[in-house]
Amino acid sequence: MNNFSHHQFAHCESGAFSTLITQSGLKLSEPMVFGLASTLSFVYLPIIKLNNLPLVSYREVPKNIVNKLPKLLNIKMVKKHYKTPIKAMEDLDNYLAQGKLVGLQTSVFYLSYFPKDMRFHFNAHNLLVLKKQDEDYLISDPVFDELTLCDYNSLARARFAKGAFAPKGFLYFIKDLPKDINLEPFIKKAIRKNAKKMLSPFPFVGIKGMKTLAKKISKFDSKTPKRYLVNYLTHIVRMQEEIGTGGGGFRYLYAAFLEESYEIIQDERLLKASEILTESGDKLREFALNLVQNCKKIDSFDPKKTSALLIEISQIEKRAFEILKDI
Amino acid sequence: MKIPQEYNDALDGGQKVMYAKDETGHFGTFSYGSKVEEFATKIAVNEYELLKAKCKEDIKNKISSPIKYFMFENRMDESTLASYVDMMKFRVKRHLKYKNFIKLSDKILLRYAKVFNIKLEDLKNFKYE
Repeated sequence: MNNFSHHQFAHCESGAFSTLITQSGLKLSEPMVFGLASTLSFVYLPIIKLNNLPLVSYREVPKNIVNKLPKLLNIKMVKKHYKTPIKAMEDLDNYLAQGKLVGLQTSVFYLSYFPKDMRFHFNAHNLLVLKKQDEDYLISDPVFDELTLCDYNSLARARFAKGAFAPKGFLYFIKDLPKDINLEPFIKKAIRKNAKKMLSPFPFVGIKGMKTLAKKISKFDSKTPKRYLVNYLTHIVRMQEEIGTGGGGFRYLYAAFLEESYEIIQDERLLKASEILTESGDKLREFALNLVQNCKKIDSFDPKKTSALLIEISQIEKRAFEILKDI
Repeated sequence: MKIPQEYNDALDGGQKVMYAKDETGHFGTFSYGSKVEEFATKIAVNEYELLKAKCKEDIKNKISSPIKYFMFENRMDESTLASYVDMMKFRVKRHLKYKNFIKLSDKILLRYAKVFNIKLEDLKNFKYE
């Protein structure tokens, strides 16, 4: 691999994909990749439980970008799943020997270079492998500030983690891609699609989803066990901040995408919506801070206030997507 | 809003990146560290410590099985563990109880030991310290 330059990104999948295509000659920023795949979302699914806590997500399902963008932009990719680690690692070695930059889906629990406190069974992490270095792999992990090494066994285990979103050894790299694309029609379509999703009438998705979660929060009372309540509230924070990025970071990421889109399509509405979503990102940070402060003084937790904050955020987002749905 | 520059112990001194507006009013990436994030992560990490401590008591009192302890040690829930050992969840749930655990064959125990990356002995002669 020649002239590889490592960058740290806000989000693993958009970061990995941006690097992958940029290295192959199609320069697309992380926000552009994120936005073109209509990745912004909000989902609250109480029937799906993780450690007895509901699924809360601020973006689309894992693999959304890797599955959608190649089709959309006519990027030819090799994508493979495997049954056994031995074959999956052998193939990885072969592709690396051919000089390919290879993307992998992994669990974070088994990655030896991850900080101990960050290692949970989250299976939808994405990273890029540059080459084999003796027995280790040289890795460009999008959420780390520099290149890192990972040993064979850890990487093999991480690629074959089980449970929700099990990666099954998923591996991908670029075969061929267009070097120059007129992004305008793709941007418009992606924005409309994203707006439609956020304005969905389904009560567990988008703006309605936020309201449903707000309602759930408002119903906590003095009978709710304190330990469960603290776990529940910090779980929302973790899904937003840790799996997400930097306090409603996905909102900032999307706002950055809208700003970049404005440079291509001079439509003032894009800047307006970008501003509103920045406001929503700020409010989400306030929301996270509110949740944590309440956890520290759980006896004086006022569910109505916290719930009202989330309702307010949903109304801010509604304003943004009402503008964007007609772009 | 300001970009938080606090020390986040959960990242071992590392930093993450977020998008924010620079002084010219355009978006760019900035490194940040957040105590809010640290707090939420530490609660989740600590929850497993609480569960482990309680589980040790329950093993002593012949209520829970060592498998349950190592499930928490590996930050798993029942569904995750079930998919790792490739068994139905209700079966795994049974194995988490002491009275069922003591009847398990070495063959079954080995499946758990392999997932937890420990020796069979660690399950059979559980060490409390």
